[in-house]
Amino acid sequence: MAMLEIQNRNVYYGKIHALKDLSLSVEQGEIVCLIGANGAGKTTLLTSVMNQIPSTGCVSFEGKDISNAGTMDIVNSGMTMVPEGRRVFVRTSVQDNLLLGAYSRKDKELVKKDLQNIYEMFPRLLERKNQLAGTLSGGEQQMLAMGRALMSRPKLLLLDEPSMGLSPLLVDQVFETIVSINQSGTTILLVEQNANQALRIAKRGYVIETGEIVLSDQAENLLANSKVKEAYLGG
Amino acid sequence: MVVFLQQIINGLAQGGIYSLIAIGWTTVFGIVGVINWTHGEVYMLGAYTGYFITTYLNMPMIPALLISMAVGAVIAMLVDQVSYKPLRKKGVLAATGFITALGMSQILRYTASAAFTVNPRAYPELTKQHLITLFEVNGTPVTISSLHLWILFGTVAIMVCLELFMRKTLTGKAMLAASQDMQTLGLMGVNAEKLIKITFGISGALGAAAGFFIGTIYAINPVMGALAGLKGWSCAILGGIGSITGSLIGGVLLGIVENLTAGYISTGYKDAIGFAVMILVLLIKPSGLMGYKFEEKV
Repeated sequence: MAMLEIQNRNVYYGKIHALKDLSLSVEQGEIVCLIGANGAGKTTLLTSVMNQIPSTGCVSFEGKDISNAGTMDIVNSGMTMVPEGRRVFVRTSVQDNLLLGAYSRKDKELVKKDLQNIYEMFPRLLERKNQLAGTLSGGEQQMLAMGRALMSRPKLLLLDEPSMGLSPLLVDQVFETIVSINQSGTTILLVEQNANQALRIAKRGYVIETGEIVLSDQAENLLANSKVKEAYLGG
Repeated sequence: MVVFLQQIINGLAQGGIYSLIAIGWTTVFGIVGVINWTHGEVYMLGAYTGYFITTYLNMPMIPALLISMAVGAVIAMLVDQVSYKPLRKKGVLAATGFITALGMSQILRYTASAAFTVNPRAYPELTKQHLITLFEVNGTPVTISSLHLWILFGTVAIMVCLELFMRKTLTGKAMLAASQDMQTLGLMGVNAEKLIKITFGISGALGAAAGFFIGTIYAINPVMGALAGLKGWSCAILGGIGSITGSLIGGVLLGIVENLTAGYISTGYKDAIGFAVMILVLLIKPSGLMGYKFEEKV
């Protein structure tokens, strides 16, 4: 039984069929990446899995059907998402952003410890803990968004375009961070336009085109696949 | 100079009351995204609650204030559950909320008119009124009425509590975050409906407190919420919508401008000039006095 099992998921935006019978699975411990062009449906899939948009079809998480669960219940069961564009709370301090990530947790002592862990992982955030998140640079905001998501202690983390808009050096850092999050026990479903780097850290990958999975394979095979090379890896 | 200072002092209590109304508007708009026209009616119903429990139950000032606030909180939460929540569930609040809010406000206003009659009513004397000399300028005393002082203390106490709640509690921080990005807040496992209930509760309690304070100074009537509600909303915009500090400043500013107009020109012009000043300020600073703006980071 896969940790996350998506079966025949469909999403419509009015008359536009944005996700077409999409099926995908993530095994515990993996980094799985979903690559595709702008507008292919990557973000739609993630927001659909979190039940933030009306969708049909089945999603199960750790064997439990969550197709009709509220976003809150999904988060509390151990899955959360770092949304596209980071979406940190700009008028809220860095530390409060992180604390809000642990909003529904009851184990307040452990929350404090996790906060220290996040600061160890991202020392820049510790330096700036009292600053408003809106004053951070793009890279720092991405770190904050990931740290905030980790504060809910997710078993599965969905990442939506974490490298978007970052300088090459920062992109490397973000991917290193993703690997270390995964190594500390969090399963990851990564959505990326930066297919090259995403496939290098992933175990398996899916290729999405106009709302459909057109290819799925081990990441190294996708990296070697001539069609993938041509369309997503810059030839 | 003395007249000037005296009018400013006179405007403070009224300004604080506008601030309370404005904060109630701005919190609901910031978090729920609806221009809650019933807020003026909650203010009116808070004033009536205070009237009934002080007149018929002889309740002293502080418990009467707290009970009025509780009643206001419940009414505001009910209004939300009955009229806005169904729209939220259907995802059409943004499109239809404005009209629903206006309709609900009329329903409350004219039901109250029928039930309480339109005759103005006055609170019993809750505190002995006398003038307190604050300081003297060239031998002329600048004074404040004990009632105004009481209202100012009450207003400040309520605002301090609100500020502590927003800054120190996780729920308060979540409310501030909700006003920035409710959808993302959902990813933290926050129960949006519960947060919205709390927001309406706070908004209603503040509106009712304002109504109660006004009732201790002036006679009340069932349509009093119309102009006061409009002024409160304008102060919220003036301060920068979504900003509690902005609403506070906006309210005090309007109170002072109105009193200066009344003192130097004529009481009859104070509403018109108050609104004119607000329009001017917004012309100069369209995002409001404390309006936030962060650039998109890449």
